[in-house]
Amino acid sequence: MIVATADASAPPVPGFVESTFNPLVYQVAQRCLSACPGDGARTAVVLASMMGDATTLDLGSRRLAAGQAHNPLLFMQSTANAVLGHISREFGITGPLLSLSTLDDLAGELFATARVLLEDGELDRVLLIGVELAGTARTTAAHRELGTEPPSADRAVAIVIDRDDEIFQPPEVAPTTGYGSLRGLIDLAARTRGTQP
Amino acid sequence: MNHDVLVTGFGVRTVFGTGADAVRDGVFGGHPVFAPITRFDTSGYRTKAAATAGEPAPLREVLYDRAEAAVAMAGLPEGGDTAVLVGTAGDFAGLTRFWRESGGPRVADTVPARQAELLASRLGLHGPRMAFTNACVASASAITHACRLIAAGRVETALCAGGYLVEEENLAKFDSGFALSGKGEVRPFSADRSGLLLGDGAAAVLLESPDHARRRGARVLGAVTGWGAASDAYHVARPHPEGAGLAIAVQQALRRAGGAPIDYVNAHGTATRHNDPAETCGLRTVFGAAADTVPVSSTKGVTGHLLEASGVVEFVITLLALMDGVLPPTAGFTEPDPECDLDYVPNRPRRAGLRRALTVNAAFGGANTALVLERS
Repeated sequence: MIVATADASAPPVPGFVESTFNPLVYQVAQRCLSACPGDGARTAVVLASMMGDATTLDLGSRRLAAGQAHNPLLFMQSTANAVLGHISREFGITGPLLSLSTLDDLAGELFATARVLLEDGELDRVLLIGVELAGTARTTAAHRELGTEPPSADRAVAIVIDRDDEIFQPPEVAPTTGYGSLRGLIDLAARTRGTQP
Repeated sequence: MNHDVLVTGFGVRTVFGTGADAVRDGVFGGHPVFAPITRFDTSGYRTKAAATAGEPAPLREVLYDRAEAAVAMAGLPEGGDTAVLVGTAGDFAGLTRFWRESGGPRVADTVPARQAELLASRLGLHGPRMAFTNACVASASAITHACRLIAAGRVETALCAGGYLVEEENLAKFDSGFALSGKGEVRPFSADRSGLLLGDGAAAVLLESPDHARRRGARVLGAVTGWGAASDAYHVARPHPEGAGLAIAVQQALRRAGGAPIDYVNAHGTATRHNDPAETCGLRTVFGAAADTVPVSSTKGVTGHLLEASGVVEFVITLLALMDGVLPPTAGFTEPDPECDLDYVPNRPRRAGLRRALTVNAAFGGANTALVLERS
């Protein structure tokens, strides 16, 4: 099992603007896939994020509210598909690309999804990516309404799970704050490295 | 025949109204009703038309209405561990309202996962729940995932839904990306196709394991015998020109279905320059010379593009084609394109003895899905 993390210092990705979401996703994916090359035809990518790329989505909406023309560069960037497509091209991945939103801790849903995908027989490994941004006024209001914890900073965690890996139980959610729905993944990354989250 | 997953209920809504008969009249009738959008100001956009039906209820209510219909048709008792998997990007009308009004009620409805949670809690369903947000394959991905969950024995029932209601955020995006037809019409696979138009749509399907359906004596409407998902590894927005990922997804689905012949394909068919020839090429790769004899149609010529709802609405349309023995036409078809050279069932429905059908979808980033349905 390979684990990687990234924060807002992730370098920009050409063609992706305005938000740290796509650079975060790209950096954790790149770190995992470079450390653990494999058969792209038998690799799935699953991205989970409660709020998604709220920065890009809300930027487009604010421009709309202000009566400004929509920026064509933002046309597809608020869906995670675009950066997943970028990653699939760079690493030759032709397995399924999934993006999910869940109100639960992302670790549990990602691990459960990986288990089901690997039972499929067409796949040997799954790249799991959890990503959350510190957010916007809208996501802050949404977190308040949902009673969920917003993350304190932009972060992403990725894990590559192979068919042969025995670790399929989602980690216990750490009693830490500030990580939002990423806390289980952050905890797993820390334990894998033998450090504190 | 390996009936891994059965279909026991559905609810559907398009511009033509709710329920199967509205689909039979409008979608199978092949009469486009694209009209100027009146629910917001379109004066700043090149494209001003869509397949909209009046002022819609909030997305949460539309999804609930169709999901409740699917559960009622299936006769599913309340309280089970049914998975709730929804293809949605959240309530975009709420997003617009938040930034225009500096707030507004129910801002949490803009969070995709909230739509799945709401459905589960209102219907009393206690299984896993999540939203699939991968654009135009979102609800097809929800169905594919449900099939995997049921086939693996992790759940016995799954409610898969998807909804999209035309709003300004996506019209602005697609308009800025020059993806929309400026002519007020959608002509999939035609030489003169000029792009897509958006449409209102929502649907829900109840999927079930054979054992569970048998135990409770459920009426079986059809079966999902194959599913596949694959990516192009080609471009962030455009499909692979030879439909490479689509072909892989279809081949996976056909393998899982046991390789039986396909009698009809419900295509993604967006009527964009790039999609339609790529999809044609992908289907030719899979079917070879037999592609000439497999009817293929896109129902987006009447429904419009339903974005996250496309997969599940087109799943229901494909199911109805199998149940009724009628092929829905590709409405708006005018003249053949040399790059699109399949039998597209132009403009008029066609009677056919159908046993198995395939429905495919594709999305930004090169994501593709394929589902094989079989008549019960």
